[in-house]
Amino acid sequence: MISVASLNKSIRNGSRTVDILKGIDFTIPQGQFAAIMGSSGSGKSTLLGLLAGLDTPSSGEVHLAGTAISYLPEDQLAQVRGRTIGFVFQSYQLIPTLTALENVLLPHELNADPKLPGGSQKDGLARSRQLLTSVGLEDRMDHYPVQLSGGEQQRVALARAFVLRPPIVLADEPTGNLDTVNGAAVLNLLLNLNKTEGTTLVLVTHDPVLASYADRRITLRDGLILSDELTPTLA
Amino acid sequence: MPTLSYQSAAKIAYREMLASRGKFFFVILSVAIGVAALTGVRGFSSSFRATLLTHARSILAADLSARSTRQPTPDEIMGLIQIERAGILVTPVTELLSMASVPVTMDPLLVSVKAVDPTRFPFYGTVDLDPAQPLAQALHADTVAVGDDLLLRLHLKRGDQLKLGNALFTIAAAVTNEPDRLSSNFSAGPRVLMSRDALDRSGLLAPGSHAGQRFLFKMPQTGTRGTVNDSAVADMKLHLEKLLPESQIIDYRETNPALTQGLDRATSLLSLMSLVALVLGAIGVAMAMRAHLQQRLDTIAIMKSLGARSSQVIKIYLLQTLLLGLLGGILGVAMGVGVQLALPLFLAKLINVVPDLHIDPRSIATGLGAGILTTLLFTLPPLLDIRNVRPILILRRAMDEASDDPFISAVFAKLTRNYTQILAAILILGGLAAIATTLSDSRTVGKYFTFGLVAVLIILLAASWAVLRVLRLFLSKTRLSLPSSLRHGLANLYRPGNPSAALLAALGMGVMQIMTVYLVQQAVVSELHISSAPNLPNVFLVDMTNDEVPGIRAVIAHQPGVTKEPELLPVVSSRITQLNGAPAADVKLTNFPKRMLQTISLSWSATGQPPEGTKVTKGKWWTPQQESDARKHPVVAISDRLADRLGVKVGSTITFAVQDTTMTAKVLALTVSDGQHAYGRAEFVLPHDALAGLPTVWYGGVHVDPSQVGQLQRALYAAYPTVTVINVAAALETVRAVVIQITYVIQFLAAFSIFAGIIILASSIAGTRYRRMREVVVLKTLGATRARIATIFSIEFAVLGLVAGLVGVSFANLIASRLLKSLNVAYPNNWLTSIVGIFLIAVLTVLTGWIASHRILGQKPLEVLREE
Repeated sequence: MISVASLNKSIRNGSRTVDILKGIDFTIPQGQFAAIMGSSGSGKSTLLGLLAGLDTPSSGEVHLAGTAISYLPEDQLAQVRGRTIGFVFQSYQLIPTLTALENVLLPHELNADPKLPGGSQKDGLARSRQLLTSVGLEDRMDHYPVQLSGGEQQRVALARAFVLRPPIVLADEPTGNLDTVNGAAVLNLLLNLNKTEGTTLVLVTHDPVLASYADRRITLRDGLILSDELTPTLA
Repeated sequence: MPTLSYQSAAKIAYREMLASRGKFFFVILSVAIGVAALTGVRGFSSSFRATLLTHARSILAADLSARSTRQPTPDEIMGLIQIERAGILVTPVTELLSMASVPVTMDPLLVSVKAVDPTRFPFYGTVDLDPAQPLAQALHADTVAVGDDLLLRLHLKRGDQLKLGNALFTIAAAVTNEPDRLSSNFSAGPRVLMSRDALDRSGLLAPGSHAGQRFLFKMPQTGTRGTVNDSAVADMKLHLEKLLPESQIIDYRETNPALTQGLDRATSLLSLMSLVALVLGAIGVAMAMRAHLQQRLDTIAIMKSLGARSSQVIKIYLLQTLLLGLLGGILGVAMGVGVQLALPLFLAKLINVVPDLHIDPRSIATGLGAGILTTLLFTLPPLLDIRNVRPILILRRAMDEASDDPFISAVFAKLTRNYTQILAAILILGGLAAIATTLSDSRTVGKYFTFGLVAVLIILLAASWAVLRVLRLFLSKTRLSLPSSLRHGLANLYRPGNPSAALLAALGMGVMQIMTVYLVQQAVVSELHISSAPNLPNVFLVDMTNDEVPGIRAVIAHQPGVTKEPELLPVVSSRITQLNGAPAADVKLTNFPKRMLQTISLSWSATGQPPEGTKVTKGKWWTPQQESDARKHPVVAISDRLADRLGVKVGSTITFAVQDTTMTAKVLALTVSDGQHAYGRAEFVLPHDALAGLPTVWYGGVHVDPSQVGQLQRALYAAYPTVTVINVAAALETVRAVVIQITYVIQFLAAFSIFAGIIILASSIAGTRYRRMREVVVLKTLGATRARIATIFSIEFAVLGLVAGLVGVSFANLIASRLLKSLNVAYPNNWLTSIVGIFLIAVLTVLTGWIASHRILGQKPLEVLREE
C-alpha cells in the first residue's frame, strides 16, 4: 500500500544545507497500523509530509497504492491526497470559519465526483453526520471550532479524515495537544474507525505508550531508520 | 471531475470576510475611496466642463464659425443648405464698415455694421441690450441697436433716427454686451447691430462690397445634458475646411487662448486626478489582500492537504475579491454621488456656476466597473501566489526560502521561474492601460500615466531595495553602538515576511502621485491666475496716429479707474509678395484666403524682447546685433498658427511690400500669444529699425475699471474724436470669471484627491499591523513596556515614511516637470515644499502606524499565544 525507496530530503537554511532524511526504505502493507517514532528533529514529520505528498523529496520515491507520487504535478498530487489519504494533525487544523459539520464535509466537497455513487452533496452530508455521531458530536455539528474544546476539535478532525473512506490515514501526534483522558478517548476513536473502515494507518509520535498500540514501529534517528519492528503478539 | 461548488466557495469566502471584518473594512474603504474619487471627480468635472464649454461657445456665439472676406459662391451656398438639412443650424453674420449720419445735422461717422438673423443669433450667450429685451424684439427691418459710443458721438438717444445707406432706422436700444465681441474684427467705428432685413433695406450690401462674412454653426445636441459631441465638431470643421477653402474655420475651443488653455489644463489635470485616485485605491487593495492571504496561508495549506486543487482555493479567494470589489464599488459610488452633490454647495459661494448635475448611470457603471476591475487586477499576483502555497506548511513553518528580502527575491524568482506571474503582470498593465485610456479624457495623459506608472514602479522598487540595503549595511556596521530601541526599530524593517520594499514602493508610489497632483495643480493654478489677472486690457483703442500717441497716453494716465499703463501696438499695413522666394500667388496656403495676403499688419517691438504675453515656441528672438542690422537684414517673428497656415518655418523668408518699399525678412521665431495683451493681435513682429519711417497706425489696450469705461470714452472722444474706443470689459469679465472658476474647481478636486490618497495610504500601513501582533506579544512577555514598543515601531515607521517620502517626492518633481512641460506651464522648482512634504509624510506614517498599532499594544500576550 505504502512503499518508500531511497528517500532523501534536504532543506536550505540560509547558506546551510541540512539533510533531514538520508535514504529511507520501507513498505507498509494494506491494513497495517504503523507507528513512526523518534525524538524531536529525527525527521519523522518530514517523512509524514513526504508520505502524504505534502512535500517533494530531494531524491527517492514514494508509492501510494501503486502510484508514484513524489514528482506528480501539484494538482494531481492534490487529487491523490484527497482520494487516498485522510489526515489527523496534532493541532487539529480545522478551518475556523466553517462549522464542525462543514469542516467534515469539506474533503467531500473538494474531491467527491457528484456523478459517481455516493458523490452527491446529500450523500456527503449523510456521511459527515454519521461520522460526527460516531465520534460523539451529534449535538455539536453546527458549532464553530472556536466553540469546541481541544478534544472535540480533534474528534471533528478524525471524522473529517474518514469522510471520503480513504485507504490510508496519516496521523501526526494526534493526541499531542490533549490531556490524558481526552487523548485516550481520541486514540480509541481513531483505532475503532481504523478497524471499521479497514484503512492503513500511519501514526507519527514520540510517545512509546501510543506507539505500543501499533502493529509495527519504525524508529528514526538523525534521518535514518534506527529500528523497524513488528509488535510481538502479531509477529 | 469533482469541483468545489460556487455556493460552497462563496460560503467560505463570505464567512472569512465576516470573521475579519476589521481588516476587510480597510480593503472596502480603499476601493470605496478610489471609486468615490473617481465618480465624484469625474462626475463633477464633466458637469463643470459642460458648463464651461457653454461659456467658451458663447465667446464664438456658436460651435463653429467660418469667416470669409467675400460672399459665398452658389456651390458653397448649396453645401451650406445641405449642412442645414443634416440638422445643423447655420446663421450668417455680415460685418462691414459704413458711414452713418443723423438726418437732421447730417454729421457723418464711420461705423461698423453687423447684420444678424435676430431669431437665431447668437446660438450661445446673449446680446445684452439697454433697455433689456430679446434681440428679436429690438431688431426689425426699420430698427437698429447701437453701441453707446455712437449715441455719445452723435448726441443721439434711443428712439432717434439714424441714416445708413439709403434708409432711415430707429435706434431701438443700446448694445451693452455682445457675446462674440472678442471674436469679431476690431474694426474702426462704433457698433451698429441690425437684422438681415434691415441690411437688405439699407442697400449697403452691394455686389463687390468689402463685407466680412461669417457663418455660425450649431451642432445638434447629442448628450443627455444638451452637450455637443467634440468629435462631431472636429469632423464638421474638416468638412467646412473642404467646403469653404477661402474661409478661416475656427471652433469654440480656439476662441480665447486663456479659456481654452485653462480648459485643456483642467481636463488633463482632472483626468490625472481620477486615475491617481483609482490607482491609490488599487494599491490599498493590493496591500491589504496580500496581508490577508499571508494570514490565510494555514487555511490554504489545510485545504490543499485535504485534496483541494489550487484552482479550487483560488476560486474561494477570487469570489472574496469580487465581493470586496463590489461592496467597495457600491459604497464608493454612493460616496462619489455624495461628493458630486456636495461639491457645488462648497463651491457655490466661490463660483457663480451651477453645474447641471444629475446622476449619470453610465458614470456609476464606470466607477463600479473600474473599482471591481482594478481590485481584481491588483489582487491577481497574491491570488496566483496561492498556487505556490505548499501544504507542508501545516507541518513545518521554516521552509527552504530564507533570503534577505522576501519581497524582492520573490519578485525576481517569479520573473525567472513563473510565466503565469509574468502573464499576470502583462494583464495588469494591459488592464490598467485600458482603464486609463477609457477614463482619461485626454488619451495622452492615459498613455503617459500607464507607462510612467510602470517605469516608476520598477524604479521605486529598485530604489526601495537599494535604500534598505544601505540601511542594513549601516545597521551591521553600527549595530551594538546604537541604542537598543533604534537598533530594534531598524531591524524590524528586515523582519522575515515583512514586505518593507513592497510597502515602501506602495507608499512611495502614493506619495509620488499625491505630490505630483499637488505640484501640477499649484503650477497650473498660478498660471491661470496670471491669465485671469485683473489688470489685463479690457478697452481697446483703434486708429491712432504717431502724433496722437503721446497725447492719448497723457489723457489715459489722468483718467480714474485706469490700473496700468496702456499697451500700444504700432501697425504698418503691408502685403506679402513672396514666401520663401516664390511669388505669393503660386504658394499653397492652408485655410488662409490668398486675398488676405494683401492686407496684413506688421508691428515692431520696442523693447528688444518678446512683447508682454507673447512666448517664443520655436527659434529665438533677435539679438541686439540683429536688431541694429535689421534695416539691411530684416528679421521677423510670426505666430505659430499663422506660420502653419502660410507654410513657413524658422529660417523661411517672407517678402513684405509697404507702399513702394519691399523687404525680405528671415523668420527667426515662431510665437504663441496668451490673447490677453495688445500684442496678441500682432501677426508679424519685426525690429523697430526694419519699419522705421513707414506709415504707422497705432492700436492700444488699457485696463479700466468697467464702471469708468464711459468716462474714458468721453474724455478720449473730446480730445481725439477720430480714435475708436472698443469696450470689451463685459466680455473679458466673462472669460476672467470662468478662468477663476476653473482654478477653484481644480483646487477643490485636487484637495479631495490628496485627502483620499492619504486615507488609502494610511489603510495600507494599517494593513501591516497584523504582522506585528506576535512580535508585540513576545516583547511584552519579555518585559517590554508599551512605551518602548511604541518607540520601536515609531522608528520603523519614521524610516519607512522618510524613505518613501524622499523617493516619492523626488519622482513627483521629475514627473510634474515633464507633465507641466507638455502642458506648456512653467515648473516651479520649490524645494521647500518638497522638504516639508517629505517630513509631513514621515509624521503621517508614524501617526498612522500608532493609530493602527494602538489596539495591538493593548493586547494580552496569552490571547495571541493561545491562537498560535
